[in-house]
Amino acid sequence: MMEDAVSRPSFVQQNRKLLLGGLSVAAFFIAWQAAFLVVPFNSLFITKPSLMFEALWRLTLSGQLFFDLGASAAPFFWGLGAAIVVGVPLGILMGWRSRVGQALDPLLTALYASPLVALAPLVVIFLGVGATGKAFIVFILTVFDFVFNAYAGVRAVDNLLLNVVRSFGGKEKDLYLKVIVPSVIPYIVAGARIGVGRALVGVLIGEFFAASEGVGYGIVKFGNFFALDSMFSYILVVTLIAVLLTQGIRWAERTAFPWRTGQ
Amino acid sequence: MTETNRLEVPFAPAAAPPEEMGEIASRGGRRLQSFALGLSGIVVLLLLWEAVPYLVTMKAGTRLFFTPPSEVAITLWNLFSTGVIWGPLGVSAAGFAVGLAIAIAVGLPLGVLIGRSETLDALCEPFVTAFNATPRLVFLPIVLLWFGLGLWSKVVIVAFGAFFPLLINTHEGIRNTDKLLINVVRSFGAKEWDIIRLVVVPNALPYIITGLRLAIGRAVLGVVVSEFFGSNEGLGVMMVQAASQYKVNIVFAGMIVFMALSLAMTGLLKVLENRLGRWRPQRIGE
Repeated sequence: MMEDAVSRPSFVQQNRKLLLGGLSVAAFFIAWQAAFLVVPFNSLFITKPSLMFEALWRLTLSGQLFFDLGASAAPFFWGLGAAIVVGVPLGILMGWRSRVGQALDPLLTALYASPLVALAPLVVIFLGVGATGKAFIVFILTVFDFVFNAYAGVRAVDNLLLNVVRSFGGKEKDLYLKVIVPSVIPYIVAGARIGVGRALVGVLIGEFFAASEGVGYGIVKFGNFFALDSMFSYILVVTLIAVLLTQGIRWAERTAFPWRTGQ
Repeated sequence: MTETNRLEVPFAPAAAPPEEMGEIASRGGRRLQSFALGLSGIVVLLLLWEAVPYLVTMKAGTRLFFTPPSEVAITLWNLFSTGVIWGPLGVSAAGFAVGLAIAIAVGLPLGVLIGRSETLDALCEPFVTAFNATPRLVFLPIVLLWFGLGLWSKVVIVAFGAFFPLLINTHEGIRNTDKLLINVVRSFGAKEWDIIRLVVVPNALPYIITGLRLAIGRAVLGVVVSEFFGSNEGLGVMMVQAASQYKVNIVFAGMIVFMALSLAMTGLLKVLENRLGRWRPQRIGE
């Protein structure tokens, strides 16, 4: 909602939401830190924000953090990339050739609804504990996000636009390049926003099960050593990355497809 | 109506293409065709899977891991007929039910509260965004440390996962209420509680149902994941143990049980949704 331009709101009023949000985050960390002035502190079960940030600083300086991030990033991007390469064309095909869509829709819906995470132990057996196994888990968790969003995107294509291209002598190729792909892209980006979250789950599951490096492995390892300050700092890093990725895509959606705002 | 369409999800099912709408007479035939095609898609996949051993010669090592669907079906039948599955299934179901109940009991009222108060919304927003974006899995090791291997760490993971879709959808539904309706009720002397009870919550019902649907999916996921990594009994535990003994058929059987459960739950919810939301055909989701 646009405010009336005549009475210009003050800085505080304009950024009220942001200020309150920042305030509550700061209050949260201060309360967390302050709680241990009252309650006895047991470093085996809980940590303080001060210790957590100290551990984060230490792990950043030693390079450990970047090493683990790199190990986790590779399967994340490979799996997600493969999901896009396979999922998007399949979804477009399903939407465009209605028989293909009808034939595959129930099967893929059933697979999408089932907790595919349950296949993780098998993936580890077949593909091992390295980057390939992790990338495959990421792939099976995210491919359906792209299939179903591309599928819905094609079905939402405006028939009028297709007819216009046809009337002006457009070929099948023109239909794809000029109408279908541009209309489907916002749907695919929306799919990516959901897929990114699931891809993170995939990487973590792969690393929880069996791995020798990576952020998820780090969290489990620190937990086993009762090094809770390091463990919380890794959890904080994962949280920050997750927020950056999803909010980043949301921002990109708003900027690139402003007509789709409000979702 | 335009007001409600504004928030349609990008992947909401599109309306039937115009050419299908035109020929109402052949609609039944089309639906039959679509059903037959869908069924054949599944059947073809299963047959192919079954036929793999006859088409490809596998090494002895690979054959150890391979299970045709017929064997999975037999395993499934055995699990149920011998009653072996009921114990683990009950444990999993208990974790699911308690966790989901807690998520509903906390998520719905909180969603109404932050939907009605902008200050509260602004205060909670960073946490909701952060925890909703973060895979809940990341907290599993610490939850295990705090709550141990039993029921309660599972309940916490399930509740934590199911909580956010409920909260966010309720919030969205509450905020989306027609201001005019609120003003009318207020003009007739309604208090805040009456507004919530009479206008805001009924209005948000379709959103809440959708939140519930997402929450069920996340809760099932929570059960699976927490049993994989930190539990001593349950269906997920059974599957991990089977996998480590290369009993692939039990892994698939367990997955089919989980699949059937989540399909049944979402189907049930769809019935509820059709009944409650008949007056307003609209969907909202993440």
